[in-house]
Amino acid sequence: MTNTRIFGYADPLCARAGGTVDFMISVEGRETVTPRLVRVLHGDENPEGPGHVEEAVDLALPAEIAVKRQFTQVGSFARAEDPEGRLDGLTSFTLFAHVHPTAPKAERQQIMGRWAIGPSKGFGLGIDPDGHVALWIGDGAHVDEIRTEVTLVPRCWYFVAASFDGASGKAELHLINTVNPWNSRISTVVPFQPDSWIREVLRHRPAATGADASFKLAAATAENPVRGHHGGFLYNGKIDRAGVYDRPLDRAEVEALSRGETPPQDGLLAFWDPTANLGREGVGDTIPDTGPHGIPMQGVNRPVRCMTGFNWRGEDSYRLAPETFGGVHYHDDAMTDCRWEKTFTLALPDDLKSGVYCLRIEAGGGQDSIPFIVRPKAPKAKLALLLPTFTYLAYANEHLSYEAPIAQAITAHTPVLNEEDLEYKKLEEFGLSTYDHHSDGAGCCYSSWRRPIITLRPRYRLPAMNFPWALPADLSLIWWLEHAGYDYDLITDHDLHAEGVDCLKPYKAVMNGTHPEYYSEQMMDATEAYLRTGGRLMYIGGNGYYWVTGTRKDEPHCIEVRKLDTGSRAWQAEPGEGYLACTGQKSGLWRSRGRAPQKIVGLGFTAEGMDESQPFERMPDSYHKRAAWIFEGIGDEEPIGDFGLAAGGAGGIELDRYELGLGTPPHTLLVASTSGHSDNYPLVSEEVTYAFPGRGGTQDAQVRGDMIWFTTPENGACFAAGSIAWSQALPCKGGENNVARIMRNVLNAFLRDGPLPGYRYTGDETLWR
Amino acid sequence: MTEKRFYRIGSRPAEIMLPVRGDVPLARRRLPFTRRHLLKWRSRLNPKTLRQERWLADKKPLWWTIALVLLAVSAPFLSNSALTVASIFCIFTAINLLWTLIIGTAGIFSLATLAVVGIGAYASAALNVYLGLPWPLMFLAGGVAGLIVGGFLALPSTRLDGLYYALLTMGFAEICRVFVQQLKPLTPMNGSINNVGSFIPRDWFLQRPGLLLGFAGAFVLMLLALLTFRIVNSERLGMLLQTAREDEAFAEAVGIDYRRARLHVFLISSAGLGVIGAFYAQFYGSISPAVFSLDQLMLLFAMIVIGGLGRAEGAAIGTAIVVLIDKGLLDLGPLRILLVAAIMLAVTLLTHNGLAGARNQFRGWRQRRQSEARARRSEKGGEVMPEEAIEIEDKQAIYYRRFQKRLRDRLKALITPELIEEHRKRPLGQHSDALSRVLNHFRRGEVADKYAILRQSGQFHAYKIVAFSGVRGAPPRLVDDRVYTDINEAYHAVFLLRVNDLMES
Repeated sequence: MTNTRIFGYADPLCARAGGTVDFMISVEGRETVTPRLVRVLHGDENPEGPGHVEEAVDLALPAEIAVKRQFTQVGSFARAEDPEGRLDGLTSFTLFAHVHPTAPKAERQQIMGRWAIGPSKGFGLGIDPDGHVALWIGDGAHVDEIRTEVTLVPRCWYFVAASFDGASGKAELHLINTVNPWNSRISTVVPFQPDSWIREVLRHRPAATGADASFKLAAATAENPVRGHHGGFLYNGKIDRAGVYDRPLDRAEVEALSRGETPPQDGLLAFWDPTANLGREGVGDTIPDTGPHGIPMQGVNRPVRCMTGFNWRGEDSYRLAPETFGGVHYHDDAMTDCRWEKTFTLALPDDLKSGVYCLRIEAGGGQDSIPFIVRPKAPKAKLALLLPTFTYLAYANEHLSYEAPIAQAITAHTPVLNEEDLEYKKLEEFGLSTYDHHSDGAGCCYSSWRRPIITLRPRYRLPAMNFPWALPADLSLIWWLEHAGYDYDLITDHDLHAEGVDCLKPYKAVMNGTHPEYYSEQMMDATEAYLRTGGRLMYIGGNGYYWVTGTRKDEPHCIEVRKLDTGSRAWQAEPGEGYLACTGQKSGLWRSRGRAPQKIVGLGFTAEGMDESQPFERMPDSYHKRAAWIFEGIGDEEPIGDFGLAAGGAGGIELDRYELGLGTPPHTLLVASTSGHSDNYPLVSEEVTYAFPGRGGTQDAQVRGDMIWFTTPENGACFAAGSIAWSQALPCKGGENNVARIMRNVLNAFLRDGPLPGYRYTGDETLWR
Repeated sequence: MTEKRFYRIGSRPAEIMLPVRGDVPLARRRLPFTRRHLLKWRSRLNPKTLRQERWLADKKPLWWTIALVLLAVSAPFLSNSALTVASIFCIFTAINLLWTLIIGTAGIFSLATLAVVGIGAYASAALNVYLGLPWPLMFLAGGVAGLIVGGFLALPSTRLDGLYYALLTMGFAEICRVFVQQLKPLTPMNGSINNVGSFIPRDWFLQRPGLLLGFAGAFVLMLLALLTFRIVNSERLGMLLQTAREDEAFAEAVGIDYRRARLHVFLISSAGLGVIGAFYAQFYGSISPAVFSLDQLMLLFAMIVIGGLGRAEGAAIGTAIVVLIDKGLLDLGPLRILLVAAIMLAVTLLTHNGLAGARNQFRGWRQRRQSEARARRSEKGGEVMPEEAIEIEDKQAIYYRRFQKRLRDRLKALITPELIEEHRKRPLGQHSDALSRVLNHFRRGEVADKYAILRQSGQFHAYKIVAFSGVRGAPPRLVDDRVYTDINEAYHAVFLLRVNDLMES
């Protein structure tokens, strides 16, 4: 291994020619790096395809860039914006909070407080390494602590309050179990009474921390001379309403607070009520203070909002009963923004060709390729390739084969790891994907581009599948478009999400990537509007338009998805926690919200497997003159795509099916299908109502990928081949093969103005031979 | 191998568990001037009932209190000779406690304990008898004398190692004895100083009230020694030295000056021993060179060895046994010494750290036997025995073990050369029912130690076999250094490894 470690990310991931891209780079072991800019045409090094293809870009770059080591704050917490220091130097106080701890661990976890870890100053309420609730105070020389004798039961709601009287040194710790039939993992049938009320006189007094610490929820303040202040003592679990008094409260007051009653104003310094700013359109990172001074909390690394609170009673959404959704879930391994300093800004020339670019930085034998996508300054080509950047983020830095025991059973083979993977996995600094679980077992619902992402590196092959996935897979399409000589513009999910149908309108035809799985409402609407108004769409991917996804209005870098109820889901949101905090919409499958993908592109997810892909075979409809032109040059019984870089075929990995019942347009022609899939392709769970044996590829007719054709208003049309493996068959045989032939047939027709071929054949059939 | 017998398990609580109420405050009291609690109370949710219960986790203070109260209360009812024995026990316990501090806490192997006591006694007695120092000030004089001598003795302790230092201190005691015996003014009294002033009025000497007062004094002396022991051992000094005892280099690296801490402990103990010397002289009203003698030292040594080094209860138990035999069974004559020697031998041979450590030793032994029995009766991956089930929180895991074992037994029967050949020819895709079942079992295994393939950088088709750690952040380990140049070969190699694991399970 080299001793130079280089990591970087581009912001934004999707740039526009004529604009700029910022690069955040962290290097250990070198002070400068040499940059090079390349346009990547193909990523996968599989010798059956063209291999890794890139071209140098003639752009004036500095010969060397000065770099330094940058640090990443891992873990989510909230920090009080308290410039007046109202929460500092308290002599007598009460801290209280409704908490739902999820993972007792061998480290101290601070629920709330103003505690400077290094100098041991201030006060903190939290969970000690043995799992007891504790209040600790320190004056910089001595630390004193009061703790409960019992430990906490994970995933139950408790009310904790700690009061301290500076005059007498008397501290009291109250732990009140607030488990009810609704809110916790266990119910009230458990003979479970872990309340605790401890009283003790402490020897020392807390000192003011000044600039050494800030008041935080779910973390304390650590400091490192190189790195500066950062969050330590990270807490795992939910915190609902929390507050601070400048006086010790008596038991009656504590009990009233534990029941959720409005806090009395006498001595109240702050009362953070996460429900106070829940809007119908979601909520940001601010937890408002409804107390007299208004000292809001700012979330770091996106504490998960809109989660069920201590008083939740089964409502499905925070839109129905916001006052019961005060839960804010903090994770010690959440990371949505590295917040690195900008190392270098690249100005993109106005005429830079649209493409996937990499800033290659090298030093001392180490290197990193930081990918970013450039769209033209204004639409140029007639064809747009819509790169599914939401999907890229959803899978960013996934840990499936490393952590999910069932991953090998899903993919039906042994994972093939890459050496560059190991460094990422050792470091564990760059966050999780929406396929991973946080350390307390909760699913990860956020993923952002503001971090180094190994799964975006062009050569990267997803270990679980041993073939490229997402961006590296879509590069096969880009290579083929270059090879076949089509002029194209790249646009991304993020552009589509931001601009809606205006993003697609300029193009005669739009082509999807291999796996457009994560879609927002804006993207669904735009695609539908495009097709409705004469747009021509080539949906050549699998499992598209699947998860209801969202981003905050002005923060496109971070997507949110909640996996729930049905679908191929790596995790399952807890009851009541299925709505997106960033938009207020219900997440889950689009299909569950009345917008099955079949309604837009005619196909929807039906099966997945990663052992073998199969070719498509022509179906009778492919001989109808309305669609027969698609198969020009293809033999009647010729297998279409019995080759490919994704498991050796054009039909496989994730497959989509024609289904009238789910909204496939009734005039759709089913022109080809795959068959012969193994039992490692089982029918997807959203199709399984009753479970019975025989839902695998060898026994269930619904396990197949379909190729369809239908027309839309104003000479629009949709050609769909429902298979992730489709595009990765294109580069085989030098780019000249029958999959490519079909692509050319469709593309040529789509790019021509006027009506589509075969549009005249609308008459009733007259068969007399 | 496995005895398939299901023993009944479960037991009633062996100690008293107190209920806890969450709606009344539980006041935790501290020892004055410390952050320490008087008693080590602990609570837990009983995993069998989920009720909260509270118990005294460290019962030693309880036993100490009972023993001390018993001793104090029974004293007035003891015979005169028994009372004397009890008093001597208290004095020697006090000496041994301080000695334990020196040997155990400070780790300085000094045999000059009685010499320091003697010097304290002689110095204070001489001041009293020849210069008329009033008796209450004798304690101070003894303490100062002990501190000075301790200071001298401490100097070589950092220079000399274990055995040599022990010899040096033994020699020091001998020098003291010879010095006192040859001191001109004391020659008439054979080296003794008599008629020392005392807290016991002269006319009460050897009378019942005198003996009772003597005992009371000795008892208080022992309590003070115990207090010293506790304070030194469980506060900062003791903590520092505990770290140093475990790893001197580490202690030094984190900035603990353990040499200094050792000297402090040595000085504190020496001063204490000097005070005991003053008490000793007052208790007997005289002091003789016998205090420096080797046989006294050896008796003291026996007490520590029998009781166990380093612990207060060891010092007390050892002292009690030896004093009872030596002073209580005077009728036995010289046999007493043999008896003490025999006990000492037995204790050294049978226990790891004296009688005070016997309980822990017994527990360790019992635990070892338990786990041996467990290991004999349980089979890795096999049926869970009732005594194992106690420790499995998620009872479903017990079922999984049973199911997996039966599944493996069925799958083992499916492994044939034909099946292996089928996989070799085509590792991916649709397989026969038998092979699908075997593969699905393999694929669903837990992540820890699950096999994977690692592509070697630089070459597209170059693979090695690794196994996952199952822990986030811990990289996979290399299973085999062989490089496979065909992915199907690598898949098959993993398959063979898994078949091997299955057949061996």
